[in-house]
Amino acid sequence: MKKISSKVGGLKNLMFIGALLVLGLILLLDIYLVDKILAPLEYFYLFFAILVIFYGLYPLYVNRRLTKYYWERTKRHRLAVFGLSFIAFLIAVAIIGPFLTQDPTKVNFEEKNLPPLGFSIQQSVYDLKTGEFVTRETPGTWKHLLGTDDKGRDMLAMLVSGARVSLQVGLLATFIAILIGTIMGVLSAYLGGWADMGLMRFTDIMMTFPFFLLLVFIIFIFGPSLAFIILAIGLTGWTGTARLVRSEALSLRTREFIMASKSLGASDARIIFRHLIPNVLSSIIVIATLSIPAVILAEAALSFIGLGDPTVTSWGVVLHAGQRTLDIAWWVAVEPGIMLFLTVLAFNFLGDGIRDAFDPRSQL
Amino acid sequence: MNNTVLEVKHLKTYFFTRSGVVKAVDGISFGLRKGESLCLVGESGCGKTATALSILRLIDSPPGRIIGGEILYHGEDLLRCSSERLRQIRGNRIAMIFQDPQTSLNPVFTIGDQVAEQIKLHLRLKHKPAMERALYLMEQVGIPQARERMKDYPHQFSGGMKQRVMIAAALSCEPEILIADEPTTALDTTIKAQILDIFRDLKQERNMSILFITHDLGTVAGIADRIIVMYGGRVAEAGTALDIFDQPKHPYTHGLFNCLPNISAGRNRLTPIPGMIPSLIDPPEGCIFNPRCEHRMPICSEERPKEVVLSGEHFVACHLYS
Amino acid sequence: MSKGLVEVENLKKYYPVTAGLLSRHVADVKAVDGVSFYIMEGETLGLVGESGCGKSSLGRTLLRLEEPTAGRVLYKGSDITRWDKRQLKELRKEAQMIFQDPQSSLDPRMTIGDSIGEALLIHSIGSEKDRLERVEELLKRVGLEPEHAMRYPHELSGGQKQRVGIARALAVTPKLIVADEPVSALDVSVQAQILNLIMDLQRELELAYLFIAHDLAVIGQVSDRIAVMYLGQIIELADRTELFSHPLHPYTEALLSAIPLPDPHQKRERILLQGEVPSPVNPPPGCRFHTRCPRVMKLCRQELPTLKLLEGNHLVSCHLYG
Repeated sequence: MKKISSKVGGLKNLMFIGALLVLGLILLLDIYLVDKILAPLEYFYLFFAILVIFYGLYPLYVNRRLTKYYWERTKRHRLAVFGLSFIAFLIAVAIIGPFLTQDPTKVNFEEKNLPPLGFSIQQSVYDLKTGEFVTRETPGTWKHLLGTDDKGRDMLAMLVSGARVSLQVGLLATFIAILIGTIMGVLSAYLGGWADMGLMRFTDIMMTFPFFLLLVFIIFIFGPSLAFIILAIGLTGWTGTARLVRSEALSLRTREFIMASKSLGASDARIIFRHLIPNVLSSIIVIATLSIPAVILAEAALSFIGLGDPTVTSWGVVLHAGQRTLDIAWWVAVEPGIMLFLTVLAFNFLGDGIRDAFDPRSQL
Repeated sequence: MNNTVLEVKHLKTYFFTRSGVVKAVDGISFGLRKGESLCLVGESGCGKTATALSILRLIDSPPGRIIGGEILYHGEDLLRCSSERLRQIRGNRIAMIFQDPQTSLNPVFTIGDQVAEQIKLHLRLKHKPAMERALYLMEQVGIPQARERMKDYPHQFSGGMKQRVMIAAALSCEPEILIADEPTTALDTTIKAQILDIFRDLKQERNMSILFITHDLGTVAGIADRIIVMYGGRVAEAGTALDIFDQPKHPYTHGLFNCLPNISAGRNRLTPIPGMIPSLIDPPEGCIFNPRCEHRMPICSEERPKEVVLSGEHFVACHLYS
Repeated sequence: MSKGLVEVENLKKYYPVTAGLLSRHVADVKAVDGVSFYIMEGETLGLVGESGCGKSSLGRTLLRLEEPTAGRVLYKGSDITRWDKRQLKELRKEAQMIFQDPQSSLDPRMTIGDSIGEALLIHSIGSEKDRLERVEELLKRVGLEPEHAMRYPHELSGGQKQRVGIARALAVTPKLIVADEPVSALDVSVQAQILNLIMDLQRELELAYLFIAHDLAVIGQVSDRIAVMYLGQIIELADRTELFSHPLHPYTEALLSAIPLPDPHQKRERILLQGEVPSPVNPPPGCRFHTRCPRVMKLCRQELPTLKLLEGNHLVSCHLYG
């Protein structure tokens, strides 16, 4: 055990590989033996979770002092702390919220267009007894804290479901983009020469690619599915990361500690994984946090123009529905709008805070 | 003391950072006389650069702030004069040269334009006479083929040549005082010697007052009339060059001389000063040098030493002599 | 003649200069241009020269951290320029490097302990427990505390970081260390501490050093023999005392006389070199130094002098001799 673990660089890597193997095994079982153990997206989540645990949380735990140092520095940014707490809240809502709220797809025309609690509006209601429309004061109810839309669906439930969708899209698409971008950037910088030239020209071509057109095209062919939207955003959105990582890695390569590691006899792989990537990681985290809101907005925009996945209730879908009833039920459009606004703001604040915390020049 | 052109009194410059208040300059006083070269000597973080920048109010604010003291230029307090007046004095009467010639020149303008810029600004000359004067100055500081080289851009100049250009630009208005912050540190040995020669000539021929800031005692010996040894934002010892070199009194000054490598001695161990340069956020109590001092006494960690006059201009801030 | 630990024969390192869209090879920067010397076991060879003379390139090429363009490097009699990857990894256990900038020579995301222990991990030396003990021992040896192992570089001062750099180089118990300007980024008082450490370690561990610096005083402090480099070539090589008392090459003479001595009484006859170091892309024909040499002859402009062995094991490359 000790022998193997020292070969691959510690127990951590061994466990990581083990976890991935288990996941692969389930996938194989899924394909060949049993039907539908997990949905395709769920494989994503599990893979993502494993990566986060081993390469995000575990190092933070091991290097507690460094973690504390960065936390101290991030903490000085009030807004970053606000951003972080809001995101933590959002994640909690996205994970456990759907079990607590009503079914976001349940239609009930008797309770349509209810305002949020504490508000009340005049609306004309069909009176069952007289068979006439009467204008009646409709107050918000405790049952529907944030009101209902024109089909009587619970707004709170829809927003909670939307939080889940938005975070899924934001995290997964960004993760894919960052992963590809980092690999491209580091390889390009470390290999140099023709490889660098080739990879960077490819990046340039990808940059000129009309992303929106591609999305419309994919949706046209495969139908609007959340998984495809995530993939499309992820597979086209890595170019900026690749360039940034490349330039960071290039400047790191000339730093003396890389030369020092080389002079100690370190292999290329060791230099890349132990020195280059940990040192570009801070900028990667910063672009990741800053690009998540962009992705969330992109999904909302797609849904808003009607290209979203109709089977999921995302904020964009609700917003789209709400604009039709803006004159009688303003909250249907305003509530998802506020959520989008706060989420984007929170990620941006956090990104700025992390950037300042990681930047050694802001030592003062 | 009529020939004192610049007098710094109890200057205090602090930097208010997130991790605490850095007392970069903590009560420093000295005078600069007409036609003399005064050296501020000390290691990094001793406050010598902050002192120089404070004189022209060039401290970055925030985080830095001059919180006390006076800087008298012919009796006029530069810390309290209007920014209009200060601009007249900067560059015109008091000029400054920085350590890194690479970053002090703007890469997109020609050398000639940059030197002439100063002249146009302060002497209100037209383009042509300004360029003529720039040419004259560049020849004065020993730039070969100055007429051709004026049309070059900074990247075409070597480090030593750029430093000459900076000196030429600083001289453009015949300033009375030249503040030079480590002007030779970034240069090679042979080039360093050339630049030091220019400074010596400036002093002798133009009777200029030079405030020369450096960490290198060898450079100091070549140029200084008087020396101020700084440590931890305070003056440790001050005196004429001969006072300091022949009879160093402060244990820190002693230590500095002892730890210099010396080619005429054998291949022996050096006697370094133990310990590290203290943090200026949380400096040691009493004498700031006491944790590293070999003559430490109980009083040293209790009371900040006062300046003791030893002879003439030689004074030292150390409890050993009070 | 007894074989040295390292023998360098006619080593060359050119960096290609490319231009245009297709990266056409237009010229070479001749950083190291035909250098030969040897280093005995347990001795220090000082390598002195001004910036851009190729001394750092030489140090790196010697350890094959950069691939030489031509020439041979014999380590214990075997030519390492032909060694493959596996053999090179073995060489890394014997030959190590100390870097100039303590700020950038440590990985900011690694603890001090991990940085020092990295070499042990790479070469799979000892168990995890052994490695921790070794790191602790190394930290103590270079004058740090075992607690420092848990710290990060940003928590240490410049001098402490340089100690860590030295400990890292010592981890694999090397025989040869290339020290590339190890003290030039440090303050004088700290510089002396590090120089002492470097000299103590040599005595104790019988290390051979190639000590690279631009400061002749520092070089003189630590070296047994000194090589003077100018524009990619060694122009003079002699014992320390011999070189200081009888410098032969005009460049060495000028370099010696340009050292600013910390003594205002010393009135030396200074040889002030004119001009600047020419570009290594297009070095002057004949003797590389003839453009600045005060004793230039006709022959110097035409023919490149070779290193000649004179009395007292003194090598010089100058037409004045021989």
